[in-house]
Amino acid sequence: MVAMMRNPAPYIYVCTRMRVRKAKLIPHEEYMRMLNMSLSEITRIIQETEYKQEIDELGTIFSGIDLIEVALSWNLAKEYQKIQEITPGTLKQFTQSYLRRWDIQNILIILRGRMQGEKLGKIKEILVPAGSLDRVILDRLLAEDSPERIVEALKGHRMYTVLSRELPGAKESGSFSRMENELYKQFFSEIIAEAESGIKGGKLFLEFIRFDIDIKNVKTLFRLRADTFEEDAQEMYITGGVLSSADFVNLNLIKDQIEFIDQLKVKIRQKPLLTLLDELKNDKTGRDIEIKLTRVQLEQMERLSKRHPFSIHPILVYLEKKKYEVFNLRALTRGKESKLPEEKISEYLVV
Amino acid sequence: MVDVVSNVTAVEMSVEAIKASQIGMKAIAAAIAISTTAFAAAWAEMAIGSAAVGATAENKDIFGLVLLLTVIPETIVIFGLVVALLLIF
Repeated sequence: MVAMMRNPAPYIYVCTRMRVRKAKLIPHEEYMRMLNMSLSEITRIIQETEYKQEIDELGTIFSGIDLIEVALSWNLAKEYQKIQEITPGTLKQFTQSYLRRWDIQNILIILRGRMQGEKLGKIKEILVPAGSLDRVILDRLLAEDSPERIVEALKGHRMYTVLSRELPGAKESGSFSRMENELYKQFFSEIIAEAESGIKGGKLFLEFIRFDIDIKNVKTLFRLRADTFEEDAQEMYITGGVLSSADFVNLNLIKDQIEFIDQLKVKIRQKPLLTLLDELKNDKTGRDIEIKLTRVQLEQMERLSKRHPFSIHPILVYLEKKKYEVFNLRALTRGKESKLPEEKISEYLVV
Repeated sequence: MVDVVSNVTAVEMSVEAIKASQIGMKAIAAAIAISTTAFAAAWAEMAIGSAAVGATAENKDIFGLVLLLTVIPETIVIFGLVVALLLIF
């Protein structure tokens, strides 16, 4: 923040741009209107918004739902890259760190896709080159003919150690969930170390990371409760939040929903999350709980961005809300294509 | 006799010095009023201007409005100027 105090102009400039972009995102009412529309009408609406350029560019190659899917991914990646270009000083570093989670997602999509024998074009459609691995690198990885070669091609990258360690196990079990957990654990420990390294503004970034970890751990706990098969809770725990490893394991052992929530509330400090936990006491549908937790996270981030108007928070709020806009549009179009009832689709929307 | 004359001269001189000092102090006060308000206006315009440029970059239609908002802190300097003029005259 010293840089911010010396010359706050670039910080104010970027944060205002993020606020204007956030205001341009599709509002709640528009989603409700879209729920009653046909797929072609939704496509037309999307075409009239910020996604016009991508839909026009890709219109000759793709059509229908594929066109929307690719256009949304391209727009999201373009938007994230643009933000990295305009953010100044330490905000750029934090933004890049935050966006590194897309590297994990992209690598896992490629590995899972290749293992399941998906077509390259299909895998490419859902990649979002928003992290440190750009479109060229991802294309090169896609062109590799085996998971081992994909991992070898990443030699020198920060994810390489975990990938090479976890790949044999993943291939043997046919599941990449352990690898995914390990990659996220590494990611969070790295960004926590970065935020705690004394970089100005790191404290505010740390506030976001810790809350993100808390939400992730709580989501995992609810997911484990909804699962019918036994899983090793310890493996899924992410360090850095308010819950300790022992708390996490102990909470997972509690069978009664009300007792579980009461015990969880003892550990949680954030008021909005506590209010939600009270509401969740009688809710047993896993999917809905995750959406509600995401909503709470976004609300809390919004609050932080208002408390610290010229910090990393307004940027992070926009990045998250943009991500969920794309998720919502994808859910809407996919739902409409599969002829799902409107009530069912609306359950998947984060609005 | 000589002592009385010299005392009167000294008193006259100190009165003159006080008057000159008062004028000087007024000038310094006026300068402070102008400089601090000018600095405050500049700082405020810098912040509003940065936000205005950022907002205009995203939405060109609001240029007229943000231009107006950017010059609003100029009123702070006008207040400073009024105070400075009242001090001097």
